Amino acid sequence: MRPVSLANRIATALVGLASGLAAGTSAADVVVVVSASNPVAALTRNQAVDIFLGKSSRFPDGNPAVPIDQAEGAAARDEFYLSFAGKSAAQVNAHWSKMIFTGRGRPPREVANDAEVKKRLADNPNAIGYLDQSQVDASVKVLVSK
Amino acid sequence: MKLESRTMAPIALAAMMLNPATARADDTATPVFSFSGFGTLGVVHSSESNADFTTTIFKPTGAGHSRAWSADVDSLVAAQVSVNAGPKLSAVVQAVSEQRYDNTYIPTVEWANIKYQFTPDFFARVGRVVMPSFLGSAYRKVAYASPWVRPPVEVYSLVPITKNDGVEASYRQHFGDVVNTIQGMYGVLTSENSDGTQARARNQGGIFSTFEYGPLTVHVAYHQAHLSVEALRSFFDAFRAFGPQGIAIADQYTCDGKLIPFGSVGASYDPGPWFLTGEWGTSNGHCFIGKRSGWYAGGGYRFGRFSPYLTYARAKASGTSNPGLTVSALPPFLAGPATGLNAALKGILGSAPAQKTIAIGGRWDFAKNAAFKLQYEHIRLGAGSPGTLINRQPAFQPGGRLDVFSATVDFVF
Repeated sequence: MRPVSLANRIATALVGLASGLAAGTSAADVVVVVSASNPVAALTRNQAVDIFLGKSSRFPDGNPAVPIDQAEGAAARDEFYLSFAGKSAAQVNAHWSKMIFTGRGRPPREVANDAEVKKRLADNPNAIGYLDQSQVDASVKVLVSK
Repeated sequence: MKLESRTMAPIALAAMMLNPATARADDTATPVFSFSGFGTLGVVHSSESNADFTTTIFKPTGAGHSRAWSADVDSLVAAQVSVNAGPKLSAVVQAVSEQRYDNTYIPTVEWANIKYQFTPDFFARVGRVVMPSFLGSAYRKVAYASPWVRPPVEVYSLVPITKNDGVEASYRQHFGDVVNTIQGMYGVLTSENSDGTQARARNQGGIFSTFEYGPLTVHVAYHQAHLSVEALRSFFDAFRAFGPQGIAIADQYTCDGKLIPFGSVGASYDPGPWFLTGEWGTSNGHCFIGKRSGWYAGGGYRFGRFSPYLTYARAKASGTSNPGLTVSALPPFLAGPATGLNAALKGILGSAPAQKTIAIGGRWDFAKNAAFKLQYEHIRLGAGSPGTLINRQPAFQPGGRLDVFSATVDFVF
C-alpha cells in the first residue's frame, strides 16, 4: 500500500467524519483497463490519473485516449479516485470546476457499472476505464493496479 | 464594460455556424450546448471602521467603513454556456455578476472566446480569456475550486487587470509522467475604475508555463503591458504646467506609455490527505505604482469532508517619496495649487500596499457541489501603509492592525 492512501485511511478512521470515504476505502480493489486490442503496453499511475483528470488525452504511444468514468456514487469510482489520485468525490468535483470554468475540458463520459465499462472498451479500442479486479476477463487488458 | 454584451452572442453563434455538420453526436457524447455555473454567497466583517476591506481596487466599497458586514466582497454568481461545434471547434461565454466599479451587479463577461483544438495537445483561442498571472488566476472566482475563502489579496491584487482580449495559444508536452503546458497570449484590456474612469492595458503580452507531475504543480508567469490610467492624466498634466520641475515629476510617476512587467512563480503539492501551496509575484512599473511584490504560503489537512487550513501572506512595496514642486520658488498665487498637488502626490506615493496577514479557516463540503467556509484573518499593515484597504476616511490611521472574519457558501451547478 502506498503511503498516501495509508495516511488517508488512518486519518479518516481516526476522525470518523467521513463515512462516505470510509465506505469507499473498504471496497474491493480497482484496476485500470483498456481493450485487449489496445496496443499500449504499460501506463504509470500518474499517466492514468492524468487521462481521467483531463491533463492528458493520449497514451504514451501517442494514440488518443478516451476515458470512461463510472457514475457518481459507484463504489469503483470512489475507490479509483481515492486510491489512484488521492482525491475524494468532492475533490474530483473541485478539480472539474477548475477545468470547466477555464474552458480547458469537461469530465469524461460516464457509464453505470463495470459491465458497461467493458462494453465501451469493446466498442472503442482507444477507450480506457477502471473496474473491480474481479470483473477482469479476456476482453480487457489491465494496465495499472493498486 | 461597453463591448461586453455585444461580444457574447456573435461568438457563440459563429461557433455554431462554422461547423454545423459535425454537431451530430456520433461517437462523442459531448453535448453541443452545455450550461453550467458557479457562485459564492458570503459575508465579511472587518474591525477597521475607517476603511474598507475588499479584494480589488475596482470595487467601490467593502467591509469595515461602508458596512460592518459586507456581502459585496465575495458574493458572486456566474453562468457559462459552452458550444461544441465538432471535435476541434468550440466556444465558451462566461458572465459573472458581482459588485462592479459602479456598485451594481450588472453581469460582466469573464470569458468569451472561440477555441480551435489543432491537436489533442495544441489549441488556440481568440477572444477574451483570463490571464494566468498566478497559479489559480484562471479560476480565482470559482471559490468552490479553492481550499480558502479567496486567494490572498497580498499576491492576487498585484495584477488588477486580469483579462486579455486577444489571442492565446497553448501547447502541452508530455515527458513520461510529466505534463508541461506552455501558453502565450497577446492583446488589450480596458477596465473601469470605481470613479468611472478607465485603466487600459495595451500591447499586453505574456508567456506562462505550467508543470504537472502527479500531485505537484509548478506555475511560472511573465507578462507585460503598456498601461494608461485615465484618472491620473489631468493630475500629471497639472504638474507639467509648472515647467521643467513639474514635467520631470510627471514623467517619473505617470504610468502612461510605460511598460509594466510582472512575473510570478507558484507551486502546489496536493497528494490528497493534505496540501501545500505557495506563490510569489512582483512587478515594477517605474511609475507611481512603484516596485511591488507579494508572497504567501498555505496548507491544510483533509479530515474527510472537513478541511482546516492556515495561510500566511505578505505584501511589500518599496516606499517612494518625492518632495514635489519647490513651493518657495513659485509666485505666491501658484503656491496654493502647488501645495495641493504635492499633498496629492504624497498621498498616491504613500498608498503603496504593505501588509502581513495570517489566516486560519476551514472548509466543509456539506453537500455535493457545495462547500461552507469560515475564515479569520489578522492583518498588520506596514508602517505608514494603508495596506490593500480602500475607501480610507480622514480618521483612518495607516500602519494599524485589523481583524477580518468571513463566512461563505460556494457552489457549482
